[in-house]
Amino acid sequence: MARRILFITTDQQRYDALGCNGGQVACTPVIDRLAAEGVRYERAHPQNVVCMPSRATIVTGQHVRNHGVWMNGVPMAPDAPTVAKVLLDAGWRTALFGKAHFEPLLDPFLRHPGNRLGVLGATDVDGAPHRGFEHLEFAGHGAVGVLHHGRWMREEHPEHLFDFYQALDRSLEVNAAGGGDSGAPQVHHNPVPRDLYHTDWVADRALAWLDGLDDEEDWFCWLSFPDPHHPWDPPTSELHRVPWRDLDLPEGYPEDQGERESRLDAKGAHWRRWYDGDLVSNYEAPAHWVPATLTTDQVREVNAMAHIENELIDEALGRVLARIGQRGWGEDLDVLYTTDHGEFQGDHGLLFKGPYHVDSLMRLPLLWRPAPSSENGHGRGAVVTSPVGLLDLAPTFCTIAGLDVPEWMDGVPLPRDEVEAAAQGRERVLTEWDSAHPNGTEVHLQSIYRDGLLCTRYEEGTCHDGTEGELFDLSEDPLQAVNLWDDPARRPLRDDLLTDLDESLPPRPAVRRRAESVV
Amino acid sequence: MVTITEQITIDAPAADVWAVVAAAERQAEWFPGMTSSSVEGNVRTIGTSAGGRLLEEILDIDHERRRFEYRITGPMHFDHHLGSIEVHDDNGASRVVYGQELEPTALTYVLAAALRDALVGLRDLVETGATSRGWDPEEGA
Repeated sequence: MARRILFITTDQQRYDALGCNGGQVACTPVIDRLAAEGVRYERAHPQNVVCMPSRATIVTGQHVRNHGVWMNGVPMAPDAPTVAKVLLDAGWRTALFGKAHFEPLLDPFLRHPGNRLGVLGATDVDGAPHRGFEHLEFAGHGAVGVLHHGRWMREEHPEHLFDFYQALDRSLEVNAAGGGDSGAPQVHHNPVPRDLYHTDWVADRALAWLDGLDDEEDWFCWLSFPDPHHPWDPPTSELHRVPWRDLDLPEGYPEDQGERESRLDAKGAHWRRWYDGDLVSNYEAPAHWVPATLTTDQVREVNAMAHIENELIDEALGRVLARIGQRGWGEDLDVLYTTDHGEFQGDHGLLFKGPYHVDSLMRLPLLWRPAPSSENGHGRGAVVTSPVGLLDLAPTFCTIAGLDVPEWMDGVPLPRDEVEAAAQGRERVLTEWDSAHPNGTEVHLQSIYRDGLLCTRYEEGTCHDGTEGELFDLSEDPLQAVNLWDDPARRPLRDDLLTDLDESLPPRPAVRRRAESVV
Repeated sequence: MVTITEQITIDAPAADVWAVVAAAERQAEWFPGMTSSSVEGNVRTIGTSAGGRLLEEILDIDHERRRFEYRITGPMHFDHHLGSIEVHDDNGASRVVYGQELEPTALTYVLAAALRDALVGLRDLVETGATSRGWDPEEGA
């Protein structure tokens, strides 16, 4: 019996984006069905809340400190082990379609081998796999750049090349220009036909690869959709799906300005300073956008765009699953679905992401629909509330493949229910942030989630003196409005969590890998 | 504004190293990721492996101080950019200092990494005659 794994990631997707997680807007029936047939994880965290470190964790199964990709722009080591290589060595066919981001995307001199593939139109590196993937076709957040989707657009549909929002401005900063109806940053009415949009392209390319496989081959296919990461520019033809003016404001957006700002003031200094336009701590949000200028209309329109993009992802995934079903592969297919990190999408009066360890960015959608024919197939409709992390994915793939989990992986195969989670001793999940902006700003955070508590320590940096932090009791305060860090009654609990954090994190590497870009 | 400085020691007389640096049109021979470099007047046009183009204004070629100065003028926009290469005598060898000043700063780490590569490329060209990896999308690696 052959085994197959379809691994789906989105980019920057919130937990509540999906119907199965309580989302009320986007229709995601395909993903919801996977949840109903499998295991839904209610407390899955990334080990870092930006793309490159998080994706390095996904593909290595390692904590950030062990794979060394400590911020965006730090390339994975050329010889970094990956789960794809483990599967490839075991005779599996391996492919990735969409966004990889194992290496910096801002790479004008093509210093990084992965970026050369798109320029050449190649799907491997001189006939050899790249990071364990025998076939790669990349897409990003638009159509310009060195990726395969952009090349295809330039060659086949040049008239639509510049329909997309320009994610970077002329200075190569994240573009702050507003668009759409509300003038929200990174929102744009995109006239591109839907079938040229990267979401459908990713599915199309995966289908082409799957069609070329023999019936009895084992395969691992990573479908990596670039959406709903900004820019928020789904095809204009789809805007009717979610009229933004009809949307309620998100529960996490305090409409009252005083309330909004007092909640920010209760957190670390970097929250309010960014909101006020007084701090640029990281590259991932537009440097020239001031969150305090965000309007309720803009929050609504950004949310609507993201919901539309999520619906397109659901439909694209449905096409792939349908084809897999037609091939007769469905019974032997494990499907795992997640994202690399979340998005504020208006929570706390903010958009985008950065050094902010709250549920908006850390609580992720994660589903596993085990192969019905496998011994794991009993997970139907299970819900796991114990904490898990993206570092658990690679070991899970190994287990599905019947392979030993390599010692270099830090994660543990995902539990299929709470009984298994308890047997594994799952109590905590850890997340780190380190950034060094070219402007000199450094921020360093470490977080632990345990027992319904979320505790974040701010290490000494440009904005913090090393004594500050956050402590939220998510059972009482799901929106993380009340910071208990300085509550004397919680001090023993805080100290215990920090001790646990220190004992659970691996040591920092002796030498920090160099950043070679900012993204 | 951010300032980047990278340096390397090359086992060759400063005059020999400077002869390569001062020949502005030869930059693609030793700067990995550049596929072409041509000069017309004081404008240098660089082709990059990613298929892009850099336009530079050559500001000064000071043979006495062995200092080359230029600034990137497009297509990306800088409020301020200044590139400089200095070749110093180092007991018969050469110490080459490659600097950049830039604002905005998005390309800081990209340029720092590229300068490190370029200095190694310059050393290899001068010491062994090997041109940079010269990766060209038209030709492959």
